[in-house]
Amino acid sequence: MYNEKRLMIDRRQLLAAAAALGLSTKFGMSSAFAAEPKKGGVLRLGMEGGSASDSLDPTTYADSIPIAYSLMFWNGLVEIGSDGTAQGEVLESWEAKPGAVEWVFNVRKDLVFGSGKPLTADDVIFTINMHRGENTKSPAKPLLEPITEIKKLSDHQISITLKSGNADLPYVLSDYHLMVVPDGTTDFSKPDGTGAYALEAWEPGVRVVAKRKEGAYWKAGRGNFDGVELRYILDSAARTQALITGQVDAINRLDPKTANLVMKAAGITVARTAGTGLRYAFVAHTDKEPFNNPDLMMALKLSIDRQKIIDNVFAGFASLGNDHLVAPNNPFFDAALPQHAYDPAKAAELYKKSGHTGPVNLKVSEGAFTGATDSAVIFQESAKAAGIELNVERVSGDGYWDNVWLKEPFSAVYWGTRPTADLTYSTTFLSDAPWNDTKFKNAEFDKAVIDARAEIDPAKRKELYASAQKMVAEDSGMICFAISDFLDGYSNKVMGNDPHPRYDLNDQRLAEKGSFA
Amino acid sequence: MLRLIGIRLILGFATLIAVSILIFLCVQILPGDVCAAVQGQGATPDTLRVCRAELGLNAPLYARYGNWFIGALTGDFGASLTNKRDIITDLLPRFYNTLFLAGYAAIIAIPLSVGLGILAAIREGRPVDRISNILTLATISVPEFFIGYILILIFSVNLGWLPSLATVFETMTFGERIYATTLPALTLTMLVAAHMLRMTRNSVLSVMSSPYVEMAFLKGLTRSRVVSRHALPNAAAPIITVVALNLAYLVVGVVVVEAVFVYPGVGQYMVDAVTKRDVPVVQACGLLFAAVFVGLNTAADIAAILVNPRLRNKK
Repeated sequence: MYNEKRLMIDRRQLLAAAAALGLSTKFGMSSAFAAEPKKGGVLRLGMEGGSASDSLDPTTYADSIPIAYSLMFWNGLVEIGSDGTAQGEVLESWEAKPGAVEWVFNVRKDLVFGSGKPLTADDVIFTINMHRGENTKSPAKPLLEPITEIKKLSDHQISITLKSGNADLPYVLSDYHLMVVPDGTTDFSKPDGTGAYALEAWEPGVRVVAKRKEGAYWKAGRGNFDGVELRYILDSAARTQALITGQVDAINRLDPKTANLVMKAAGITVARTAGTGLRYAFVAHTDKEPFNNPDLMMALKLSIDRQKIIDNVFAGFASLGNDHLVAPNNPFFDAALPQHAYDPAKAAELYKKSGHTGPVNLKVSEGAFTGATDSAVIFQESAKAAGIELNVERVSGDGYWDNVWLKEPFSAVYWGTRPTADLTYSTTFLSDAPWNDTKFKNAEFDKAVIDARAEIDPAKRKELYASAQKMVAEDSGMICFAISDFLDGYSNKVMGNDPHPRYDLNDQRLAEKGSFA
Repeated sequence: MLRLIGIRLILGFATLIAVSILIFLCVQILPGDVCAAVQGQGATPDTLRVCRAELGLNAPLYARYGNWFIGALTGDFGASLTNKRDIITDLLPRFYNTLFLAGYAAIIAIPLSVGLGILAAIREGRPVDRISNILTLATISVPEFFIGYILILIFSVNLGWLPSLATVFETMTFGERIYATTLPALTLTMLVAAHMLRMTRNSVLSVMSSPYVEMAFLKGLTRSRVVSRHALPNAAAPIITVVALNLAYLVVGVVVVEAVFVYPGVGQYMVDAVTKRDVPVVQACGLLFAAVFVGLNTAADIAAILVNPRLRNKK
């Protein structure tokens, strides 16, 4: 799938690539002109994924809207390209010493904050340190835990030392919390960044308005809008109506139930990114009765009718999950691993072999993800055919993450896309992972993941990750049955909302990357 | 009269204190706290510990309430726990929005429903009575978001006359605000009209069956004159009460309409704060709502006394 996508380069992308490579003269002036995005216009976004309690402080981001507005004002350390690879942003280039324990990063030299202060290595170090150490509440803290030392080599060069080798460090540094802020910032209410836009109106829960800064943006062909107005439209029906009636230009998170109708509306395009959305799963603690019984666990995995859930709960806008969380468009995705499919006969056989009797309790909540209850009810029905009695208990969404998830032996969960296979596994499946929601403990698996981390040879890495995927899919308590599609709706006037392997609305960078036709 | 108002004010203040304690305790009973709610799935014991220490959540319950109470007495409602912004600065524009929408809806709804109610009483059993009854009952019998969506479908999707988004900003002119909020105001009108219309009609009709009205008829007065001069002043008290109740509803009960039309009122702000367990914000919103309720009810009682001389003097 990854390769397929790379082959499907259209004319516009080809021209853009050609222009970037300086080959535009061969196409003549006119085509070079066509590749240059038009400047101007105010982009009106209607988004879900934020609230009136949103803050500009990068240690508080947890949802789509903060990610989207932070990228208007600031730049990240590393950007993830449309092909899923790590590309230089504030950190222009990097080099790992053999073993990938010591890294040297070059900081771009021509960057200036909105205040006029030039960006240096000190700002980068301050930014990273804000999210690590004893006294941070940043959700990025566990990601940066492996960093033991950050050193300033010169004004535009830093070195980072890790506890153990990690070939994916640049991907780790692409995390959306790591917005580069000036050294010493404590008050984020007036964002001072190197991004294309400056804050004009800040009304969390209502709207965020940004205006293009004076002068040319440092990324060629980007930051094209005169301004951006991001509106909070949390109700999906209201969001869709706003798009259809032309009150906004682009929206995120279309309701899958009505997406087919939106596709038919005149002047509107739906960007569908398959296999990058949320991974919907039921997770069982395999260190507890009865889930420590591998036969029962496998019987459960084979008795869930994945396709039926996708068709009925997600209106077909999802792909099959294969219980291991690695994204199909990840370079280390193992396509050879057989897909777990609904097989009531086999499940019944395994269930009998497991010797388990009585109902299996599953706790679900709409607070875990929308559609969790419906999915569980379909699971309950399809498991019945295999003779498994599933007892679905619906609990309150309030405090779900605090009181149910990680605590109850069998519950519902969703996982977002992580930029690398390593992050996917080190946050959820390593024996000491902070969010190990299946209580998966497997020394062989730990070794494969840690070895793969420091392995520079891609072929060997792929092999290691393939074995890790197999172990998780077959031995863990993870029943990941579906991966949702990201569905954006946008007006045909908006250019540059290309599907991205990480987040929706072109990795939440539509304001930076897009333009009007 | 002044004594009555004074007592009402003191009682109102006591109610507000009781409400604030109740809200504080209720938010504590809810599972999880602000740190767990904000960090959600990404929380680790470590980050939770730092967050709780930073926000002073480890202090005992009474100390936290005491701190808040002392601040509130001096007019300082503190800052939001989630985004550290001053609550009053955030709340006042939203409260203004809420009042604006409620006022807009009230200006349409009150004359319409009281007028139709009187008309229905004058023409009891005639078509105008029947039709106004059926229509308002129909609109109150369907959920408010449904009315909202029907209006959006007709007026913004099909006809394109009015916007479906009612988001308003400080920079908008009065005319732009009116244009943006017409659909939610109409929705609210449909919600509150039935109650007021039926109450007006019924209280006028119940007075109509009393002996002095019969006397007025025997004097040879027309039905409309009997209703407007003799029956209405005596029927006014229950009408004022129901109008006040509906006004209070327009201010405090419009969360769903705010969500459908994406209107930045206090309701949505409070719901966000409750989900994030942002206690000071919930407190401020709750107190504001309680104050509106207490204030409007007091005003209604006083107005009812003023329009009816019999209530002014104690027997």
